[in-house]
Amino acid sequence: MGVLRDMFTAFKGGANEVGEAIVDANAIRILEQEIRDAENAIASAKQSLTRMKSSEIKLKREVATIDRDVADYEQKAVSALNAGEEALATEVAERIAELESERGEKASEQANLDAEVQKIHAMIKARERTIAKNKRELDKVRTVQELQRATSSVSKNFAATGSSSHRVSKALERVKAKQQGWQDRMEAGEWLEGQEAGDDLDAKLRAKGIGDSASGGANDVLARLKARQAG
Amino acid sequence: MTLDDLAFRLNEFCGDEGTTFDALVTEQGILEVVCSNDDEFPIHVTMTETQILSVTPLFSTAEVVPGKLSELNEAFLRLSAAVPLSSVGLQGDTYILFGSMALSTRLEVIAHELEVQAENTIDVLEAVEHLLA
Repeated sequence: MGVLRDMFTAFKGGANEVGEAIVDANAIRILEQEIRDAENAIASAKQSLTRMKSSEIKLKREVATIDRDVADYEQKAVSALNAGEEALATEVAERIAELESERGEKASEQANLDAEVQKIHAMIKARERTIAKNKRELDKVRTVQELQRATSSVSKNFAATGSSSHRVSKALERVKAKQQGWQDRMEAGEWLEGQEAGDDLDAKLRAKGIGDSASGGANDVLARLKARQAG
Repeated sequence: MTLDDLAFRLNEFCGDEGTTFDALVTEQGILEVVCSNDDEFPIHVTMTETQILSVTPLFSTAEVVPGKLSELNEAFLRLSAAVPLSSVGLQGDTYILFGSMALSTRLEVIAHELEVQAENTIDVLEAVEHLLA
């Protein structure tokens, strides 16, 4: 069907003015209806296929039963002959002949049905492939429609602001300024974290009496006072 | 998932790098998503029966420096393959950046895709800024 080719022709023909749909909404509805109809047709074809297949299976079983009966009668005919019962053997032979003709009819009917079943089955497969292809085509059309919808609501804004020059450059500047501000704040956060971690370290060192310690001075004073009292 | 569901879940979402979304379904039935890493170029999200489409309208052909249209088109053709997850296209007379995902895509992946598209928008625009009036 080549929806893409049709669309390209439409673009070249200038049918793609802003806001104007390239894809005819009516054409889409028809395509959708076609897909639904084909799906319904396949569903009913599958039902009759099932019926035909079950008749075919039944015939096959009947043929097998006749085959067994024939083999059985053949054995009995031989037994009758061996027993010298010629008349009885002839009767059995007649019965076998009847069964064989019945078998022939059923077997050919079964073969015909089988061929028909294969044919319908192949046809359903082919239709299903066509439907799948149509659905993909429909999705391409829908995609273009959606892209149009998603774009056109803004391009109207573009038209309104289009007169102001450097619109894109200005927007880029604003975004970059915002991103820079964000990054600066992140760096400031990291700096603060580093500072706080550093304070922690100083506190730990003081606790162990390493580095400048105010409490060391107080202890010295206390020791001096104690020494004076003792003296 | 409907666009309304997607809007609700995106608004609740917060990415690994602190990215958040401001998502709103418009009157036209389009989901407008503003990503915290780029609030100047909103992403328009819409759905078909099989896909989620994300479209960022960039600029119109009228905004291109006169006589530079071919150069811009060639630049976009060359750039497009290098841009991760998004493609550049022309819709009507509007250049767009777009991505598409299967309908079954998980929210985390959708969010990541939108985040990358927002970043790509800035990168792509910077690359062709000198061709815009």
